[in-house]
Amino acid sequence: MPVELYWENVNVGDEMPVLTKEPITELQLVKYAGGSGDFNPIHTVDAIGKKAGFGGVIAHGMLVMGFMGQAITNWVPNKYLKKVKTRFVAVTKPQDIITVSGKVIKKEENLITCEIMAKDQKGEIKTTGQFEFTLPKKS
Amino acid sequence: MGDLQEKLGLEFPAYKFVVEQGKIREFVQAVGDPNPVYVNSETARQEGYQNVIAPPTFGVCVEMWGGPGFENLMKELGVNAVRILHAEEEFEYFKEINPGDEITATTRVSNIFRKEGKAGAMNFVTLETTHTNQRAEKVLISRMMIVERL
Repeated sequence: MPVELYWENVNVGDEMPVLTKEPITELQLVKYAGGSGDFNPIHTVDAIGKKAGFGGVIAHGMLVMGFMGQAITNWVPNKYLKKVKTRFVAVTKPQDIITVSGKVIKKEENLITCEIMAKDQKGEIKTTGQFEFTLPKKS
Repeated sequence: MGDLQEKLGLEFPAYKFVVEQGKIREFVQAVGDPNPVYVNSETARQEGYQNVIAPPTFGVCVEMWGGPGFENLMKELGVNAVRILHAEEEFEYFKEINPGDEITATTRVSNIFRKEGKAGAMNFVTLETTHTNQRAEKVLISRMMIVERL
């Protein structure tokens, strides 16, 4: 649960708490297909992933963005979040261990902007992005 | 894809999606996010929400389950669904989304252009979807940019 966070406590250069996920599994991709309604078979049918040249299924980009959302809202309560933007850089596969990290790059006019990225266990960047939020002031 | 600029501003028919608490739970379980504000209404209320809330990327669920279907959208745009990649996604938040909300979603082509790269030409299409609740409050805007490799 997020601890109460105030405008005064967050400054440019601060790092957000890092989130490291459990390894992605094929079963998780099946669950995410059902949860999200994205039934593109490239995420669930191995033969299709192979045919597409990935050697098997690949994760939904939106699942990795879901991890980013989890990391953000572990730190900043949803009610303060204004915007999240993600660029999908590389494909993610089962067994990949995703770590989400980020830091504050701008703080002005009641809005805090952070950069964020998701990497795998080999350090390969999967997604990059930015998010913006407000925070209550102590005084 | 035929004449690109012709598609700019193209709007698809609005659709409705009722947010169910079980759907939110299923979604966060798939992501593996144990935050109680998505599943426990008491915790959610203590944290200042009306009820449990939808997580930050739940817009995809509204659009995939409630919408006309990705392949149909692509057909409408004249894009070859097999040749596309999801390049970027953006969510802009206005109000919380709770179970029982009836979302009306409207999608339009907000940007479209062609780029010649080393690997050949590519079409970039941004689909912007505005989500409005049963009180006519705008709750969310999503912007999905896809790339079609030609």
